[in-house]
Amino acid sequence: MLTKVKTATLSGVKGYPVTVETDVHRGMPGFNIVGLADTTIREATQRIKPAIMNCGFRFPDEKVTVNLVPAAKPKEGSHFDLPIALGIMMLGENIREAEDTAFLGEVSLDGSVNPVRGVLPLALALRNAGIKNIVLPAGNAGEASILEDVNILPSEHIRDAFKHVSGEKRIEKYRRREDPVRESAACTDFAQVIGQESVKRAIVIGAAGNHGMLMMGSPGCGKTMMARCIPGILPELTYEEKLEITGIYSVAGLLSEEQPVVRRRPFRSPHHTITQAGLIGGGRKPRPGELSLAHRGVLFLDELGEFDARVIDAMRQPVEEGIIRINRDLEEVVFPSRVMVVIAANPCKCGNLWDERKLCTCTQKQIDSHRRKLMGPFGDRIDMHVKVNPVDREKLTDTKREGNREDTASMRRKVVAARAVQEDRYRGLGYSCNGELDEKGLKEYCSPDAEGRGMMIAAYDNLNLSMRGYNKILKIARTIADLEGAECIGQRHIAEALMFRIDSDMH
Amino acid sequence: MKETDRIQIVYRGESAYPARLTEIRRPPEQLYYMGNLKMLENCCAAVVGSRTTTVYGRNTGKAIASRLAERGVTVVSGMAAGIDSCAHNGALAVGGNTAAVLGCGVDICYPPENDGLKKELERKGLVLSEYDPGVRAERYSFPERNRIISGLCDITVVVQARNRSGALITAELAAEQGREVLAVPGNIDSQYNLGSNKLIREGATPLISIDDVLEPLGLRKASREQARQKLSDTEYEIFCLLQERGELGIDQLCCHTGKEPAYVNPIISVMEMKGFIFTEMGKVFLANA
Repeated sequence: MLTKVKTATLSGVKGYPVTVETDVHRGMPGFNIVGLADTTIREATQRIKPAIMNCGFRFPDEKVTVNLVPAAKPKEGSHFDLPIALGIMMLGENIREAEDTAFLGEVSLDGSVNPVRGVLPLALALRNAGIKNIVLPAGNAGEASILEDVNILPSEHIRDAFKHVSGEKRIEKYRRREDPVRESAACTDFAQVIGQESVKRAIVIGAAGNHGMLMMGSPGCGKTMMARCIPGILPELTYEEKLEITGIYSVAGLLSEEQPVVRRRPFRSPHHTITQAGLIGGGRKPRPGELSLAHRGVLFLDELGEFDARVIDAMRQPVEEGIIRINRDLEEVVFPSRVMVVIAANPCKCGNLWDERKLCTCTQKQIDSHRRKLMGPFGDRIDMHVKVNPVDREKLTDTKREGNREDTASMRRKVVAARAVQEDRYRGLGYSCNGELDEKGLKEYCSPDAEGRGMMIAAYDNLNLSMRGYNKILKIARTIADLEGAECIGQRHIAEALMFRIDSDMH
Repeated sequence: MKETDRIQIVYRGESAYPARLTEIRRPPEQLYYMGNLKMLENCCAAVVGSRTTTVYGRNTGKAIASRLAERGVTVVSGMAAGIDSCAHNGALAVGGNTAAVLGCGVDICYPPENDGLKKELERKGLVLSEYDPGVRAERYSFPERNRIISGLCDITVVVQARNRSGALITAELAAEQGREVLAVPGNIDSQYNLGSNKLIREGATPLISIDDVLEPLGLRKASREQARQKLSDTEYEIFCLLQERGELGIDQLCCHTGKEPAYVNPIISVMEMKGFIFTEMGKVFLANA
C-alpha cells in the first residue's frame, strides 16, 4: 500500500516540489525515511509517531518506509512533518493521494501544527508546479496569502489537515485581512533633512541609476539620516518583487504576524563587526545574509573603514553580479543580492580631518590606510563619491532662510521617471539600470555627443581621471541625462557627473 | 630718425620717475630710456644670473620670466649674456613686459651680440640707463647699475650664479633695499650653481617650483579681470562669491546664487577644469592660478 503527498523543499531561497511517498509493508515494525533527508527530517520519525497516536489515530505496527522524491536532492526542514504524518494517516483510510493539494508544517507531539521558516518560497514553487491548495501552519498563512492564485488553507492541528484530506471537513480558505497601509511609518522624509540639497541631488542620481555611493563627511553631518531616507525615493515594489523579498525574509525567519509581507524596499544597516557569513550568507545550511536581506533595497555600510577587510572583499562579486553562490557538498545555493550600496565614511580614522574646528589626531599613514581601505577591491562597485558637509548652525535654526527643500515625494518622482527611461532602453538586454552597465553596455549606450566628448577629454587631462574613473563618469552622466529625459549625453551632464568623481588621491 | 632722437629722459622728482627707486639709497638723478616707461608702474621682478650658464639655468630663467610676464609682471634684468638675455627673451616670448637696465649709455649695445634683443626691447619693452648716451661700459658700472635693477623691483630672483657673479651683488643690494630675494637651487656638485646655492644658505627663499615665484607678489590667485574674461556670467558670480567669502560648500553656493545643485554642479566642474577653483573636502576653493 502506497500514498503520495505533495510538499516542497528549500534550496537557498528557492523552493522545489517534493513528493512524499509512504509505503507500508509486512515486516519488522519500523519507521525509515530515505531520500537525502537531513537530521530534522529524520528526527521526524520520533515526533510523528507519538503525535499521530496522541490524536487517536493508529500508527501501523508494520514496516513503514518514507521516500522523498526526487531522492537525489538534499532536503531539509521540519515542515516535512505534516506531509509525512498525513501520508501515514492516509494509509489507514485508504486514501492514495490528495489531489491538487500540498502540505507544509511542523508537528508537535500533541499534533498541533507549528509555523516554519521559508513558507513563501515553498508555496511559490508549489504554485508554479500547478498545485491549487496548500495546507500550512496557521501562523504562516499571512505571508503565503500574498500568492493570489492559490488557496491557502491554514491548519492548527494535524486532525484538521486530515479531515480536509478525507473530506470530512474542508478547511476554510484563508482570507487576507487588508492591513492598513501606514505610509507615515515608512522612513524619514527627505523634507526633514535641512540644508543638504546638493547631497540630495547626488542621492537622486545614485538612486535613479542604482549607482553605488560613498558619502564622506565628518561625523554627525547627517550621512546616516540621509541614507535611511533612500528607500523612500526608490520606486514602489512590484508584486513580483514583493514576492521575491518576502520569500527571502521568510527563509530568514524574519516575518512576523504583524508584518507577514514585506511591502517596502528594505534598508539594511549591518554593524561593522559582522562576519562574512552574516553579510553574504552562509552556514552549514546556507541562510541569506544581510546582502540578500537588502535585495532590491539599500545596503548601508556605516563606517566602511571599520569593517573587516576580508568581509568587504567578499561582497564584491555578489554586488557586481546580483547573486550570491554558496557551494555546499551536494548543491549550490543561490541567493539574490541586487542592492544599492550606500557607504558612509569619515574622512579619516578620527573623523575630524575636514572639520577645522576640531583637531585631527591621525597620522598621514593612518589617513592613507583609511583611504586605501575605502577604495579596496570593493571600491570598484562604488560609482559616486559624495562629500557631505556639516550644516551651518544658523541654517538649522533659521527655517525661513533656505529656499525650496526637496522632499521624498518629489525626489521619487524624478527617480521613477529616470528608471522608466532605463527600463525602456534596456528591455531584454539583461541590464536594468545604468549602474549595472558593463564595458559593452557602456560603449553602446553611454557615448557622449561631440561637446561631451571634448569635456571628457579635458577632464581626463585636467582632473587626473583614471580609465576606470572615466567609465564611472560616463555611467553617472547617462543617469543625469536620463533624469533630464535627454537622449544624448551632453556636456553639462558630464560636467555634473564629474562632481562625483573619485579623487585621484583615493587610489 | 636718428638714434639719439628716440632717447627720452626722466629726472628724479618728476611724476614719471619710478616710485620704487625713490626708496633706495643713492637713487639715480636721471634715467635715459627708450620704450615704454609706464611698465615700471606694474609689479616688477628682477630675474638675474651669471653670464656663463648651463642648459638648466637658461631654461629655468626663461620659464620663470615667462610665468611672471604672463601674469602681468614686468621682468627687469641687465641684458647681459646668459641668464639676463634668457629672462628678457622669456618675457618677450609670451608678449609680456620686460625692461633692461644697462651699464652703459642706452644707445650702446653691450654685449654686441645682443643687438637683435636690444632692438626688440626698444620696440616692445624698455631699455634704460643712468649714464649719458655714448658712455661706454666700465668694470665698475655694472655693479652700479645693479642697484637700479634691484631697486626697481619688488623681488629679485637669482636663477643661476657662479661663486663671484655680479648677480650676487644684485641680490645683496636687493636685501639691503628690503626687497625679497629668491634663488633657484641647483646641483651642489656644479660650479655654476655655487653662488645661487650660497644665497639660499644665507637666507634667500629657495624657489622649488616655477609657480613659487608668484607667491611673494601675491599673484597665486587668479584676478577678477582674468576671471571676467575667461568665465561666463554665472561662473564669474561664483568666482566673486568665493573671493568674498573664501571656501564654500556646494549647498552654500546654491543658497547664495539661488540655483539648484543640478545647475551649480556642472558649473563647478567646468570652472575646476578651467583652473579657477578646486574642490576638496567637499568644499570649493579658489585655485592658485
